[in-house]
Amino acid sequence: MKGKTVKICITSTGTSLDSNVDPRFGRCPYFIIYDTDTDTFEAINNASRQAMGGAGIQAGQLIASKNVSAVITGNFGPNAFRVLQTAGIKTYSRVSGTVKDAIEKYRNSQLTETSAPDVTSHYGVGRSN
Amino acid sequence: MIISVASGKGGTGKTTVAVSFALAARYCQFIDYDVEAPNADIFLKPDIKNIKKVSIKQPYFLTDTGNDFSKCAEFCHYNAIAVIGSEVIFYPELCHGCGGCLLVGPEGAVREKDVVVGEVAKGFTTPGIDFLKGNLIPGSMRTTTLQNELEKMLNKSGLVIIDAPPGNSCSMVMSVKNSDYCILVTEPTPYGFNDLLISMEVLEGLKVPYGVIINRDGVGDSAIEDYCTERNIRVHLKIPNDIEIAKIYSQGGTLLDYDSSYGEKFGIILKVIERISIGEADNHN
Repeated sequence: MKGKTVKICITSTGTSLDSNVDPRFGRCPYFIIYDTDTDTFEAINNASRQAMGGAGIQAGQLIASKNVSAVITGNFGPNAFRVLQTAGIKTYSRVSGTVKDAIEKYRNSQLTETSAPDVTSHYGVGRSN
Repeated sequence: MIISVASGKGGTGKTTVAVSFALAARYCQFIDYDVEAPNADIFLKPDIKNIKKVSIKQPYFLTDTGNDFSKCAEFCHYNAIAVIGSEVIFYPELCHGCGGCLLVGPEGAVREKDVVVGEVAKGFTTPGIDFLKGNLIPGSMRTTTLQNELEKMLNKSGLVIIDAPPGNSCSMVMSVKNSDYCILVTEPTPYGFNDLLISMEVLEGLKVPYGVIINRDGVGDSAIEDYCTERNIRVHLKIPNDIEIAKIYSQGGTLLDYDSSYGEKFGIILKVIERISIGEADNHN
């Protein structure tokens, strides 16, 4: 990894900053990768959401490869949590509202880091908003 | 001849029916394919003499070799492997033991070890019932591995009665796919009906002929019977909704203990199935 990363990842129900934060990490529809330096973002389709099992593991590796420093979501499962911890990515959970609001809260240091998984495996299976 | 007893909905009386078949036949092989929760032994009371451990191959990764294992993670269809830089995280509960990571990973740096997932138990019940069951270790996902082991021990020379696990997923398919005939046990409720239709679809896909036994007759409605009559699907038997049956069951008793005429009734069904499978009778009402 080169330099200090300024990118963060937010799980999202849609592709814009007005979309809501998706409560699931592994099975959210989109990941918003937001660059806090340039204020630009890209929305990545989460192909892992259709995985039979291990969606969080696959998604965790994808996010780790995007060189982000933090992930903001509703809930982390144990498997995804382990991947993100190993990758040294900060984890923020129990976040709801719009993606835009979540980014603001992050900037203002209003989010507290998560130290443990929030839900058990398969929590996100079959759930939708 | 292999006869399996299955049911989409749980708790309709698969084991009650399968045990009745075995007791009526007197001489057969009985296999409890519900390796996640085997219970037929409670009723058949076999003398278990032989227990064999069943294990699967599981990979481990020699990360101190400095190799790149990312190909293993990319390959794994079940997402059992995560590779973050030089670290490998392995999730054994997701691994299916296919060995793919050994083939695509750095040569010699991915190894395999044996991990026990359960056991197969063999026993005997008088006068002539060879009993078999599998016990999956709680938490293990390797249901079909254990069922494969049971399949190897199938004795096709005589009558085989298979007690399938509930549902219509892989473990049910494993239990019924080799059958000459399948008995679908159901109860006359909307839930029973819904899951019965799914089971029928599975059996039609597998081209396994089937008939129906309705348990707890008297509750619910006549939708299942009407459906079977309309489609020419044979209803072999209706077992009444009688609390006495439940009482006897809860003490490890069988349908034959409730009413000894069930021995004869199930004997007749066996003969009917035999005639259907050799083509002497049509498989409908």
